[in-house]
Amino acid sequence: MTKCHCLHNLILKKLISSHIFPSRSRRSTEFEQSKHFCSKSMSYKLSVSSITCKRLTLLSISAVFIQIIGLSLFVFGFFPVKLALSGVSGPESYRAPACDSNHNQTHMSLPPPQLRSLYQDLSGIPPSFDRLILMDFASWYDSIHVIDGLPAEFVLGKDGNPPRKAFMEAMPYTQSLLANGMAIGYHAKAAPPTVTMPRLKAMVSGAVGGFLDVAFNFNTQALLDDNLLGQFFSIGWKMVMLGDETWLKLFPGLFTRQDGVSSFFLAGILLDLLTAAAVGCSTLPNYVALVLLLFFMSLTLAEHLCLVNVEVKDTVQVDQNVSRHLGDELSRDDWNLLVCLSFLLTKIYCIAFEHFPLLRRLLFCTVVTYTGTTFPDSSLSRIGSCWTYWWSQQVLPHQVVTERIIIFLFQFGIFSCILMFVHFLSVLMAPKLVEMDQIVKMIHTSIIQTQESDQGNTLLVSAFLFFIVCNNTLELWKQIDVVVSDHGMTESGNHGGSSFEETDSLALFIGLRNHVSDYASATNNTAYQVDIAPTLALLFGVPIPKNNIGVLISESFDSLKDDHRLRALELNSWQLLRLLQAHSSGLSCGNIPYNGFSDSKTSGTTACNGSTEKMLCCLYMKAAVLHNSWKSKQVSESDRWEVYSSTFAAYHKFLKTASEWLSSRATDKPVNLLASGVAAMLLSCLIFLSLILRMCREVSLVEKQHLSELGSNSQRWHLDETFVLGVIFILVVSMTSSSMVEEEHYIWHFMASTLYLVLLRKTAQLLPAGSRVFRGQNIMSSVFVLLISGRILRGWHQGGVNWTYLPDISKWLEQGGNDLVKAVQLVSGVMAICVGLYALSFFGSKKIIVQVVGINFCIAGLLVLQYVMRYQDNTFVPSSDGATLLAQIIYAILGSATVGTVVVIPWLIPIHLSDMGSSHNIFLSTLVPSDIKEKSPLMEIRDSLYVIGWSYILCWCLLQLLQQPINSMPLFLLLVQIMTSMLYFSYSCLHHKEWVEVSALCFLGMAGHFALGNSNTLATIDVAGAFIGISSHSTLLSGILMFSITYASPMLALLSMVVYMSVKSYLVVPHNVDSGHLLKTMLGFPCLVPLGINSILLTAYTIVLLLMRNHLFVWSVFSPKVENIHEGSFRCLVPICLCYNCLHLRWGHYCGCDWDIRIFGAGNAENEAIFNFQSLTIQDRA
Amino acid sequence: MYKPYNFILRSRKMVKRSTTEAPSSSSSSFHSMSPLQTFFVRLICGVGLGAGFWVAYNVYFINLVSHPSDTLRLIWVIESPIVILLYSYLRKNPDTSSYFKAVVRGLLGLPVGALVNALGAIALGAPMGIQYMTNTFDWSLLMSQFTPNGSVDYMICLPTHGAVIGAWFGAWPMPLDWERPWQEWPICVSYGAMAGYLIGMVASFGFVLIRGRQQHQKGD
Repeated sequence: MTKCHCLHNLILKKLISSHIFPSRSRRSTEFEQSKHFCSKSMSYKLSVSSITCKRLTLLSISAVFIQIIGLSLFVFGFFPVKLALSGVSGPESYRAPACDSNHNQTHMSLPPPQLRSLYQDLSGIPPSFDRLILMDFASWYDSIHVIDGLPAEFVLGKDGNPPRKAFMEAMPYTQSLLANGMAIGYHAKAAPPTVTMPRLKAMVSGAVGGFLDVAFNFNTQALLDDNLLGQFFSIGWKMVMLGDETWLKLFPGLFTRQDGVSSFFLAGILLDLLTAAAVGCSTLPNYVALVLLLFFMSLTLAEHLCLVNVEVKDTVQVDQNVSRHLGDELSRDDWNLLVCLSFLLTKIYCIAFEHFPLLRRLLFCTVVTYTGTTFPDSSLSRIGSCWTYWWSQQVLPHQVVTERIIIFLFQFGIFSCILMFVHFLSVLMAPKLVEMDQIVKMIHTSIIQTQESDQGNTLLVSAFLFFIVCNNTLELWKQIDVVVSDHGMTESGNHGGSSFEETDSLALFIGLRNHVSDYASATNNTAYQVDIAPTLALLFGVPIPKNNIGVLISESFDSLKDDHRLRALELNSWQLLRLLQAHSSGLSCGNIPYNGFSDSKTSGTTACNGSTEKMLCCLYMKAAVLHNSWKSKQVSESDRWEVYSSTFAAYHKFLKTASEWLSSRATDKPVNLLASGVAAMLLSCLIFLSLILRMCREVSLVEKQHLSELGSNSQRWHLDETFVLGVIFILVVSMTSSSMVEEEHYIWHFMASTLYLVLLRKTAQLLPAGSRVFRGQNIMSSVFVLLISGRILRGWHQGGVNWTYLPDISKWLEQGGNDLVKAVQLVSGVMAICVGLYALSFFGSKKIIVQVVGINFCIAGLLVLQYVMRYQDNTFVPSSDGATLLAQIIYAILGSATVGTVVVIPWLIPIHLSDMGSSHNIFLSTLVPSDIKEKSPLMEIRDSLYVIGWSYILCWCLLQLLQQPINSMPLFLLLVQIMTSMLYFSYSCLHHKEWVEVSALCFLGMAGHFALGNSNTLATIDVAGAFIGISSHSTLLSGILMFSITYASPMLALLSMVVYMSVKSYLVVPHNVDSGHLLKTMLGFPCLVPLGINSILLTAYTIVLLLMRNHLFVWSVFSPKVENIHEGSFRCLVPICLCYNCLHLRWGHYCGCDWDIRIFGAGNAENEAIFNFQSLTIQDRA
Repeated sequence: MYKPYNFILRSRKMVKRSTTEAPSSSSSSFHSMSPLQTFFVRLICGVGLGAGFWVAYNVYFINLVSHPSDTLRLIWVIESPIVILLYSYLRKNPDTSSYFKAVVRGLLGLPVGALVNALGAIALGAPMGIQYMTNTFDWSLLMSQFTPNGSVDYMICLPTHGAVIGAWFGAWPMPLDWERPWQEWPICVSYGAMAGYLIGMVASFGFVLIRGRQQHQKGD
């Protein structure tokens, strides 16, 4: 029997001989034909000027390299890192920045009272208030949407109009305070990441957070930056906290008395790692961290369960507790600051926990949300919030019956987070406001009472959506309450973005000495949220936090004398100037004549122009000079007011400009970095595309030669090729829609199925009716198997975001109970092993090798089954020692079997080196050298590739079978899909272009990825499996396991490329060309096409992300997606490496005498290895 | 949740080859059809479709969005006799096969085509639940009328391709979270199929006209 189509027809032969073709005669005719065909094709000497294999390799490697660099650049640019000053402001903040070189740190050792007096002396501003109540109400509440901010509109109205009547009536006390001039309300503008924690931080420290802050200091939970509370502590304030433990963790040791409500802080911290891993980069260390933290989370799961239940169900009681404590604390007088969390929501009931199966997911969201609130930094928490919102929408949507029941994940306060399920109607907003108003009233009246009874200074800090700052001094009986909401919300309840509604939050100062007469001026003010920090710091006589970018709210200082007000402005200017100097080293206003009055008149009038730095410097100098001239009292009394007002204006101008510049620095993305990143990715994308095009052109040239001789016309419009290109186009386009990104699994399945339908149609068209009808049916049936298994896979998990509640097979099985799931798992396991062994048994030449390999995998498979039967009852039960041991044995057997196969097989397969050199001439002279064909080295390479490929696939599948029970059947179906695809491609050797088939495999892999229950959110990552068989905390191993679980399907598809190379019949059988060409022909498409597709998608997605950077969902929908694609580029490296390595081995052996080729092969492998290592390190650093 | 594509085209050929000439498979005779004849065939098919909608809306007061299954059923009940009778009249070889035989063959081919369409739709992700069965059934019967098979003539092919491609694109909005009633299976798919069918009809008629003019010029 001829070996012409030995391997690519192996499967066919087996099938034919065993099932379909009883008659050998027909078969032989068929093979005669194909043999003839093949040998003809071989006879073409490659006349095309082709790219050499080495160049191809180098180019593709450099392209991948460029891509990774570009990606890293983009990631660093897109998630900006904040430039922050370390340390805490001390007495030096009361000196001009120029003099700060010679200050000493001795003040830190001063006892608090002395430090306090030192600050007072230095500042020169008499402290107006000495007690502070910070009250923060957070109410997540709404019928249709989550509301977790209180827009200033409710209290202050919008555009100068008073608020709606309902709201006015709802908050009578607050409104009366406003109307009486007791309070001033501000529209406090929040900087864009309008989520709770960044906003809180903005208020406490005056800084705008950077995106990666959390990633850089995730090992500590304390708020390390300079902040108001730390300053208060350093001057010896006694602080009391009623509320959440989180507050204690954030500010450890600051409180003298606390009544903490327990929370799952630990999990919050751990989940923070997850978020960090999610946003930043998908490097291995991050995955490791992710695994680690999720492990801890599962450990504390039971505990949290109880906690959540208690907390949510007893919210009302907690609320009452806090209220009681609030009363107690208000009557005491031994504290300066009180933090109080008031759980104002009373009509909260929890639906979630009645639905136990959903508990896991809910908990997950809770903790993710919690992460967001735990860490005061920036956009990370924004992800948490947005995810929370979605999850809350998708968890129980089928409960929507008569009215809209929306379930919420409830974040309590800025400092605590509790999962809440709220069923409210919008009309309840007014009652809600009534509650808030009552709290305000309670605090205010109690303070007044305290003052009346002359019991001294009262300061209350309570944390919720409002801050209420209240202070009264003994002699003045004045109070100040600042009511601040952390952020607003849009009409639809979303938040996180930057629209007017979202950034419009409320700051209400109650108790300022100045009495504003009219209502409009009390309500129609605008400030920034960061302004609160410097205002409070100056009012209370502490240094302004170092990283503050806010400007003091000048109305708060109206009660002070003129020189004090100017001094306050000066202090703020100095602080900002220091920050400016840190940001741009070129800014040196240090040479300002601090004490010089000489040219004050002249320089005070010149306009400031030039670059931003120069302008800022000039503005500051102008203000400083004016201030000095005012201080020097050289001006006459008549001019005094004029000089004062111009100084005031000059300071304000400087502060405002500097603040804006700094905040834009904090939120702006470095354009150069982004552009260069995108450019690098575009470049690599172009390289890939050009390489693929070039390969295509070469192949088509050869094909054309070949076909023209055969007399067939190749110039036809190919639907399948057009469709593959169309699919890529559609994918790129669909990425611009957040809805499509959410529901990406539909697209992949739709596209993969359609592609196979197209292939089916084409095959049927090309198949001549009649004689080959059996073969035709064979091909048809393989496509039908593909379609059917694809459909089952699609129905297995309802992925995505919006439709998860729809019934699917996995839900149905889970309802059936553990036994059913286990049975299905066992059956699919057995079938998967059988399929794998069956595929291996097609291997023709060396039966003994196959038997050894097969037995190895058989043993491993049986052990897996045993593991499943004995141990896999519940993934959440910590696995016993036996289970761990067994799993480790399985890993060992699988690993050794695979590695052994890969290493040994190339040496064992017989090689016919015989007369390679001489056969060239014979071959060229004779057209049908069938005898030479038998000795073709290609056959042996294919043999070994076939075995190696299947051992990869089997190993991978068995590894996956250890994982989630519910996913074992989809895995089996995927295996079937892969196998039928191989069968199909080996049949239709010339019908389709190779790149079409490779991309079809890729599509299959991606469709399977979503069919295994993955989605574009991080919540679907299965963590439990990452610890199977790991006894100690080996983060590296669990990271690897995690990766293998998450990307099971795409990796399977990529591993199957090795088999694909072996079953594919190549048009150009390279007897007459060098081995480099052979290598190129075999490896070219299977390596380049996945890389190319990935590169296109990645580049497109990067650009989309860039365009959408201001989109509301940019952190929640788009960013997790980045991580997914991004992972893809990484994934591709693995099979390339495998292919190259195995080929290297093969080549090294085969070309024992051919040094050139050997060197070349080794060079390839080395390049690949070096490259892989480099990419790994790069990713590590990222 | 998604719609069939060329599956239908493909498998219909298979059906034809192996079993029967499906409902309207008598198409090869279109070579001899005049543009006027084509125009009337197209017109009658289009009018039939319109009549189905009109009856549904004005007589039974239902529409595709509110009662997808009922409306689709009404449309295919009205459309099927038109298609079968019309195409049987234009059967491929009027000499050898009688009119009656062609009608019977058409009647048999209709459910076969519907089955193929339904299978294609399900393969592409149409929901499998029992509550969707009637929808799928009615839709596939309608599609079956849009997709007469066995013709290489583009006058038949174009509307067929149009219907299938239209249905394919019609499936796109289905998974999105717009919360519109027409996103349900098979409403937007039906709309897509009908739109594609009509576009295909117009296009094929245009082609017939152009070709007729070319032939006319050649004849001169």
